Amino acid sequence: MSDATRTEIATDTQQGWSTRARNRFIGVFRLSPTAAIGLLIILFFAVLALFSSWIMPHDPVAAYTDRVLQPPSAEHWFGTDGNGMDVFSRVIYGAKFGFGIAIPAVLLSLVIGVPVGLIAGYRGGLLDEVLMRFFDGLRVFPSIILALAVVAATGQSLLNVILVLGFLDSPVFARVVRAEVLALRSSNFVESAVAAGNPTWRILFVHLLPNAIQGAMAQTAVRAAWAVRISATLAFLGVGIQAPTPEWGAMIRQGAEFMISGQWWVALYPGLALIFLVFGLNLLGDGFRDLMDPRHRSGS
Amino acid sequence: MSFHRFLLRRAIMVLPLLIGVVFITFMLVRIGGLDPVGKLAGPTATQAEFDSIRENLGLDQPLWQQFAIYLGNVAQGDLGESWLSNRPVLTDIRERAIISLELLFWGVGIGALVGIPIGLRAAFRPNGRFDQVTRVLSLLGFSIPTYWLGLVMIFVFFYLLGWAPPAIGRMSLLVMTPEPITGSYLIDGLLTANWDAAWSAASHLVLPVICLAIVSAAPIIKQTRAIAIEVLASDTVRYAHACGLPEKTVRKLVLRNSAVPVLTFVGTEVTGLVGTMSLIEYVFAWGGLGQYGLNAIISGDFTAVQGYVLALALFSVVVFLVIDIVVHLIEPRSELS
Repeated sequence: MSDATRTEIATDTQQGWSTRARNRFIGVFRLSPTAAIGLLIILFFAVLALFSSWIMPHDPVAAYTDRVLQPPSAEHWFGTDGNGMDVFSRVIYGAKFGFGIAIPAVLLSLVIGVPVGLIAGYRGGLLDEVLMRFFDGLRVFPSIILALAVVAATGQSLLNVILVLGFLDSPVFARVVRAEVLALRSSNFVESAVAAGNPTWRILFVHLLPNAIQGAMAQTAVRAAWAVRISATLAFLGVGIQAPTPEWGAMIRQGAEFMISGQWWVALYPGLALIFLVFGLNLLGDGFRDLMDPRHRSGS
Repeated sequence: MSFHRFLLRRAIMVLPLLIGVVFITFMLVRIGGLDPVGKLAGPTATQAEFDSIRENLGLDQPLWQQFAIYLGNVAQGDLGESWLSNRPVLTDIRERAIISLELLFWGVGIGALVGIPIGLRAAFRPNGRFDQVTRVLSLLGFSIPTYWLGLVMIFVFFYLLGWAPPAIGRMSLLVMTPEPITGSYLIDGLLTANWDAAWSAASHLVLPVICLAIVSAAPIIKQTRAIAIEVLASDTVRYAHACGLPEKTVRKLVLRNSAVPVLTFVGTEVTGLVGTMSLIEYVFAWGGLGQYGLNAIISGDFTAVQGYVLALALFSVVVFLVIDIVVHLIEPRSELS
């Protein structure tokens, strides 16, 4: 087989796959343009995070001591920071932290919040009352203050930031699932499942869960946006992740002092990256809501 | 229900919440890894010095005893002394609260003045051009980190354009501070006819207030739109339409019926924005309660953190009380409960 035919076959199968993906994407785009744009932005950052070692022109923590605080140039696209590190490479590497914190934190919130919501909604009574009061009490605190206090008190590490964010956000999912379960509790399919002698755990996780999880899943993108934002804010305050780790919030902290002396590039670029990732997640979340609730669907 | 009985009932209902909040914070700061003793003693301290500091602060006693003593003191209006500033926490908080409230008032006030009309206009033509644009803009507003926005504004308006004063504190150091009456430099300056001070205070307020207004407007726009759309679909409004009332009258009706939920939302937002405001204060070196709280948490100043959190909880209690009263005034049918 000649080289030419081989490439032809390769591009042919590739095109088959990419056309299918494109068609599906156009389908989503028609249903909710916001969700599609959000998805594109998230994919862009996902590529940066996964392939950062190929994309980064420099080592993100290599200090070029002879090139401190240089403005953007052909060699350093986003300039260099106060340690002489390449801001462009650091911004790309920072995407890893965005996903690396948001994904496990949201998963943890789901793993805690969903069963709590299921049980509280199904059982009701004192347990439900106490849990809901406790969640109400937590809402007195602004989330950033609460997260800051808990991280500062329990130890400053990346793992701890993830755990704290996951725990603090679980009430959001618990509430949504609980509300769904309350509505479903006395429906026919649950009553017949009880009558058929199913144990409680089976009713909760086999019968109720698939019907009650939708609302919680629709929240995941918005909660991921929250996790990315709060973790960056913590790093900006110097709590949790510390400089010179190439995390966006920590980089903004490093760049803060240079804003009043005119070296804008140190803090500007990580902030822009942060905005776009959070914006993408919020767009996707907004689109999820459209798709779930036809009343809000745009264009109808 | 009479007004006095309403207030009394509310106070009784709030008490367990406040005690719960004090308890949670008290335990959180003590059980965790924060250690003020190490910070106060310094790196060269001996074990004896450590022990004596610990004893002075009362940290050698069992936790429940510490909590009982603290609760007793709080009941008498004594929040203890800050271990960093060596001043009574209550004085610290009282001085700084007005500074933060001033910022919060202008920020949320302008945010609401801008956000509510935009949200209404978007709701009158859902999915129109205006609605689409404001929807994306408000989502963007949700995504911008406040502190970064503050830094960029400082760069543009102070460094590049030179319009804004340096972002350190609430007034230029070269201007005489006005006679303290309310604690707000702007109002005090106006009251005592100290125009220089009032001008300096106002110019220092502009950037942080715009920052807060942008961040607070985004959720207000979104929520106002949702509320107004619901009101537009309500039976009342559909009936008004069916009766052939002119568009202007119908819109007045929509405004009237959206007022209560919108107001309630703005109120809840005020309490939620306290965190955002702390960050703005941090960036602009504002010296208010928010910055005080952040510093206390980061440096492990137990008594200050407890006082700060208690102040936050009280603040949200008062805000919700005020909302309920205002809602009752607008809508006398609603029960005070």
